Amino acid sequence: MSASDLWLTYQSTVAFVGLNGLLALSVYTTLSCGQLSLAQAGFMAVGAYASALLTLHTSAPFPVVLLAGALAPALLAVPLGLPVLRLHGVFLAIATIGFGEVVRIFFVNLEATNGALGLVAIPQRTSLPTIYLALLGALFVLWRIRGSRAGYALEAIRQDETAARTMGIDANAYKLSMLVLGAAFAGLAGALDAHFNFMVAPESYSFGRVVDMLVYAVVGGSAAFYGPVVGAAFLTLLPEILREVSGPLGLEPGPLRLFVNGLVLLLVVLFLPNGLVSLPRRLRRWRAERRGEAYAP
Amino acid sequence: MGQQIANGVFLGSIYALFALGYTLVFGVLDILNLAHQAVFMLCAYLALFLVLHLHLPMFAAFPVAVGAGGLLGLGIERVAFRPLRGRADSNVSGLISSIALATVLEALALQLFGPDVERFPFGIVPDRSLRVGGAVISELQVVIVAIALSMLLALTWLLRRTALGRRIRAVAESPKAARVLGVNVDRVIASSFFLSSALGGAAGVLFGLAFNSVSPDMGRAVELKGLAVIILGGMGSMPGAALAGFALGLVEVFTVAKLGSSYRDAVAFGVLFLVLVLRPRGLLGARALREA
Amino acid sequence: MRPSLRIAAAVAGMAFAGCTRSPSPSPAASAVRIGAVFSLTGNAAAYGAQQKAAVQLAVDDVNKGNTLRGLTLELVLEDDGTNPQQGISVFDRLINANKVSAIIGPTLSTLAEAADPRAQAQKTPVVAVSNTKPNAITTIGDYIWRVSLTEAQVIPSALALAREKLGFKTAALLYGDDDAFTKAGFDVMKSALEKAGVKILGIQTFSTKDRDFDAQLTALKGLKPDILLVSALVEQAGSIAVQARQLGYTGPLMGGNGFNSTKFIQLAGPAAEGVLVGTAWNRASQEPVNQAFIAAMKARGTDPDQFAAQAYSGVLVIAEAIRQAGFKGGREDIREGLAKVKDLPTPLGRFSFLPNRDGDHLAAVQIVRGGKFEILQ
Repeated sequence: MSASDLWLTYQSTVAFVGLNGLLALSVYTTLSCGQLSLAQAGFMAVGAYASALLTLHTSAPFPVVLLAGALAPALLAVPLGLPVLRLHGVFLAIATIGFGEVVRIFFVNLEATNGALGLVAIPQRTSLPTIYLALLGALFVLWRIRGSRAGYALEAIRQDETAARTMGIDANAYKLSMLVLGAAFAGLAGALDAHFNFMVAPESYSFGRVVDMLVYAVVGGSAAFYGPVVGAAFLTLLPEILREVSGPLGLEPGPLRLFVNGLVLLLVVLFLPNGLVSLPRRLRRWRAERRGEAYAP
Repeated sequence: MGQQIANGVFLGSIYALFALGYTLVFGVLDILNLAHQAVFMLCAYLALFLVLHLHLPMFAAFPVAVGAGGLLGLGIERVAFRPLRGRADSNVSGLISSIALATVLEALALQLFGPDVERFPFGIVPDRSLRVGGAVISELQVVIVAIALSMLLALTWLLRRTALGRRIRAVAESPKAARVLGVNVDRVIASSFFLSSALGGAAGVLFGLAFNSVSPDMGRAVELKGLAVIILGGMGSMPGAALAGFALGLVEVFTVAKLGSSYRDAVAFGVLFLVLVLRPRGLLGARALREA
Repeated sequence: MRPSLRIAAAVAGMAFAGCTRSPSPSPAASAVRIGAVFSLTGNAAAYGAQQKAAVQLAVDDVNKGNTLRGLTLELVLEDDGTNPQQGISVFDRLINANKVSAIIGPTLSTLAEAADPRAQAQKTPVVAVSNTKPNAITTIGDYIWRVSLTEAQVIPSALALAREKLGFKTAALLYGDDDAFTKAGFDVMKSALEKAGVKILGIQTFSTKDRDFDAQLTALKGLKPDILLVSALVEQAGSIAVQARQLGYTGPLMGGNGFNSTKFIQLAGPAAEGVLVGTAWNRASQEPVNQAFIAAMKARGTDPDQFAAQAYSGVLVIAEAIRQAGFKGGREDIREGLAKVKDLPTPLGRFSFLPNRDGDHLAAVQIVRGGKFEILQ
């Protein structure tokens, strides 16, 4: 098979890797300050619909459409975040799940967007370079935050929020900002996705979707800012590779993908809590211990 | 009108039974076990298997499936929660590992049973109906509500009147203090999971019977409703879960009748959201919100 | 290199290794490769299973019959998982890696709307055999053709026939509002009822994930309609019928295309008796090609339903297109050949395409009697 055929066959997979990476980063932004927010599917939906409506009804240029896709959910994140970020841990998670579902149901019932059928025949304006440009942009933003004072504040909040507050860090402002940033990433991914798949439909933005995003972020590892992207790449490519294996083993590809996703997540949470990106360090430590040497990271 | 009330009570009893298991584990451990819905689903399949292939009558298959659910709960505790016990973020990581385990179990079900909807064979439960007022209520529905209520009462009795119940409440109050007092905390936690999953499994079998459908994704929809119920009722409160379960069942049914079914789910999540924002401890939850 | 970046590189390398394993080579010169995309898993799996069995039989029959002057059909079967993203990926693969000349499927209209545009963009003909959404699918482009009759073609005549027999004046409607097919079916039912002057007393909706329909059915039953029309996929159709009867609704029940599956009868049991379903396939037809089809499917262990008949006919149509193109099997050949298909004998009856590339043949009404579908004469 020629290189160009190879490319055409797998271009959608490569595109999904990029999109999933961006979605994983949107979950990571709130994880990085210790908040588990699962509303990202809702944000993604808002971004997708907003951008699709702009494309279908106006002649706005694509960058403007993408910007709208990122801004709409970001604006929505503010009234969501203010009451909800007072909650912690499991309660925050549940509240954000609830929000995501409410958004989905809202779109299912919105006649103006064909309800559950969604919008179709959206011209394909997204190209691979656009996706990866967006991804790199998001990574760049996170990289800058990491190295700055904001990054230290976020880490402090993640370790112990009460202590951070007593040190004078405005935890509420940071947490809200991260929620808004995550919403912007998710919305951008939604806009790109809508213009790649020709369609927007509420069922793509269900609880299952945000669980996938969470899996990418956790498996990749939230220790490093690019960890979620690694997780997304790994878990998006795995089913393609598994597809070849599943036949000979007599297994259905659908269940096998689910099974491996779940198993990988379980193993990572239990044995590699900082994700795949922490693997090299772990291996080195393990090797050093075996040799009886002291290990200094 | 009477029929809709009957429908609501019926639906609510299943929600209540499912939520009881959720809230029991949360009350004891401050953990949300999102693998609960997988137990719900697998026990329904087990009961189906027992009935179809081993030709057991329903009244024998039911307790077997419930017991198996309890055992599955023990397994879930051992695999997804115990190893994380010492960690600082064990609530959240426990949540994630239970999601992972639920995914694995759902995949197994898909592989073994296929994605199609199955149903219990016709005639497995008597087909008679009663007419009460203007409502048609089937015998099956009465039995299901009765089972749900009796399980609730049994659980309440267990917690209030037995030694195990006392130990569970002690651990729920403070694991450290309980340990100091000589309670085997590990075993108590395991027992809680056993009970919780047995309830979840019972809910699954009853659901499959009630609505003539068993499928690998049947847990998904109920899982999120279950969350709404325990939040509304107050996390950790048994009577709260029961009350909220019935309330949600009734509200959903009337929403469908008056507004159309598109808003059915919106009601559950809207309530969940409002409760969390305005009164996080729910209707009957006594405990204050814990830090993560 | 930072250690964790090495991980990233390793993942990328693994992916590339996965990619460079070579897929199937180009088809042999005398073989025409046809892709078939059906929902073998997921919500629509009941239909997909029938379609899979039928196309396999059809390809075997065509090759055995040797009517293509030495050309044989080669089938590549894929699962779309009832998931639009998967459908798109699978279409890409069939078009670019397997280099198929045409694609049959996918099963659901929702998926077709997502994946067919890619085939149209890459100039590969698609023959839809079960998409029934009206004013759609073939509107995507001139490479998209449709064998299955749309709901707009089946339901009105089915309803007229039912009205002749039962004489109803009022109706209630129940439909799934989150699937393209069930919603389209509802739209057609509603307008057909309105045109016939039947009064619609009430409309209720449900979602494809619902299992409990008591609330909706109770509300509709309370309005005392002469007939209840339901547009649902088969998995829920069964439960709806059972719950309706359980709640004491004794009036007639009529379903859309989703009810057109033996799985419905299996799921609904005694509640299926007397249910009416419009159908694109007159299984009682004595035409030889139809009887042979039914016998051959049964011999292979499958009691065929409408989906099987349509899928089988889809393959026959493609074979005819190859013939009409001068026994050539390229993508353009097939597209040109499809336009020339006229009065082709198929299990569905004599088949032709309409100018807008939709299918054209006679429809019928079925009623469930004794646990089986019978044609209402």
